[in-house]
Amino acid sequence: MSIIEVNKLTKFYGKARGIENVTFNVDEGEIFGFIGPNGAGKSTTIRLFLGLIHPTGGDAKIFGKDCIQYGPEIRQEIGYLPSEVFYYDRMKVLDLLKYSASFYKKDCTARLHELADIMELDLKRRIDDLSYGNRKKVGIVQGLLHQPKLILLDEPTSGLDPLMQQKFFNLIRQENKRGATIFFSSHILGEVQKMCNRVAIIKDGSIIKIQDIKTLQNENYKKIKITASELDEKRFGVTGVIKLERENGGVSFFYRGDINLIMKLISEQEVSDVTIEEPSLEEIFMHYYE
Amino acid sequence: MNIFFRELKANFRSLLIWSGIVLLLVLVGFAKFSAYAGNPELLAILDTMPQAMIQAMSLRAFDLTTVTGFYGVMFAYFALMLSIASVMWGSEFISKEERDKTVEFSLSLPVTRGRLITAKTLAAVVDCIVLLIVTWVGTLMGAATYQPDSEFFGFVALSMLALFILQMIFLAIGVFLGCAMKYYKQANSMAVSILLVTFFLSIISGLNKNLEFLKYFSPFNYFNPLDMLNKSRIDIYFVFLSAGIIAVCMVGAYATYSKRDLYI
Repeated sequence: MSIIEVNKLTKFYGKARGIENVTFNVDEGEIFGFIGPNGAGKSTTIRLFLGLIHPTGGDAKIFGKDCIQYGPEIRQEIGYLPSEVFYYDRMKVLDLLKYSASFYKKDCTARLHELADIMELDLKRRIDDLSYGNRKKVGIVQGLLHQPKLILLDEPTSGLDPLMQQKFFNLIRQENKRGATIFFSSHILGEVQKMCNRVAIIKDGSIIKIQDIKTLQNENYKKIKITASELDEKRFGVTGVIKLERENGGVSFFYRGDINLIMKLISEQEVSDVTIEEPSLEEIFMHYYE
Repeated sequence: MNIFFRELKANFRSLLIWSGIVLLLVLVGFAKFSAYAGNPELLAILDTMPQAMIQAMSLRAFDLTTVTGFYGVMFAYFALMLSIASVMWGSEFISKEERDKTVEFSLSLPVTRGRLITAKTLAAVVDCIVLLIVTWVGTLMGAATYQPDSEFFGFVALSMLALFILQMIFLAIGVFLGCAMKYYKQANSMAVSILLVTFFLSIISGLNKNLEFLKYFSPFNYFNPLDMLNKSRIDIYFVFLSAGIIAVCMVGAYATYSKRDLYI
């Protein structure tokens, strides 16, 4: 069953493009990645889901119901973590969370405290005294306290330190095991790859590609950098290598294909350092535009 | 109910400040009156002031040497103050969510936009009533030392009713602007502009018989303190007109806010 059905969803802000003809489905229990650079239309799509803005064309259905018409009803079962969290200042964290919980038709008290413990959130502090990262933690607790069936995450990890990111990802995985569907928007390919089953790539308001994460990874280029005093870069001129460049004391290139093959080639050389990393999102997009 | 109570709490400081302003106005007013009280010679000074100003503030219509007459003049100031507070609260209660970007939180909760307007408007109504009571009590306390008669108490009570209707008109206008205008800055400045324009219209309409029709466009003219004192009643047609304005504004508020994109 599809939890989210998006059909030719289009949003223009006056003449400015938000998104155009976006179509995809997210199935129940999926962790769906939504990836694209800033300004691609990720937040616009999520705000359309939440009924904060109205579509110019097309429609989006969540739990089989139209996002605008049944907004309040479907939001009972949605947890939302925006990229930037803004809450009422001059309120204590606990009061704000209780306020948020009061809108849901279930008792969220136990889960609220449980989540606050996991995220090491001090409930007694005032919202306006919190750092950016701590506000984000409030956002996480607030978005999850009612155990929603669908969790919308908009660049959730910005402002969280690595340890907290780890806790957060574990939390999301648990929620997913419990049965929640996750819609995960991000511009960091690494975290999407780590978490998601499927991913949609959005650029300039349109979906470029929707793909299984494993396929994407296999298809994907790795960024390889080799440092060595004497190196014959011609040795790396094999199929799957692009953008081979000689750098100060080494070479760098992108490689797509059997990783064992390239490892063999590297091991034949006398190297002082090797890094193999995921290409940045921009580099991936460059590949899509080739 | 949760939105309503949170809003009351959040606006408590603003209510305190406005109460302080009104009480200060009462204090300054009665301090001035202590000079006029039972002192007819001072009235002669008034005649040296520009006619338009005297007309606008109905300075000569009332006997300034009695506490009742003096309150009749003060009414215009109270009307202005309470209206400013109402129109600002009205527009701010809605638009501040967009200003502070909290709207992305408050409207991603399972609430309809209509429910948000209702709760916030009710909270603003309560604040208006509290401010009105502060004005009323302040006035009675200020007047206490001048042995006011029963006519005074009746007049004040009736004028409070008029002030309440004025508050509700401007609150509704403010709520409508907060809901309808996409940019919160426009909503607030437009709200205050409308208030000032209607206030000056009320002055202009009093200056010239040919401009009298303008009084329908200015709520400040709907309830004439002189009539309230002499006839002990407020004009029922203007009550209906006020109710009409409030209804149109509120219907417009619900209709526009539910349909428009939030400014995030």
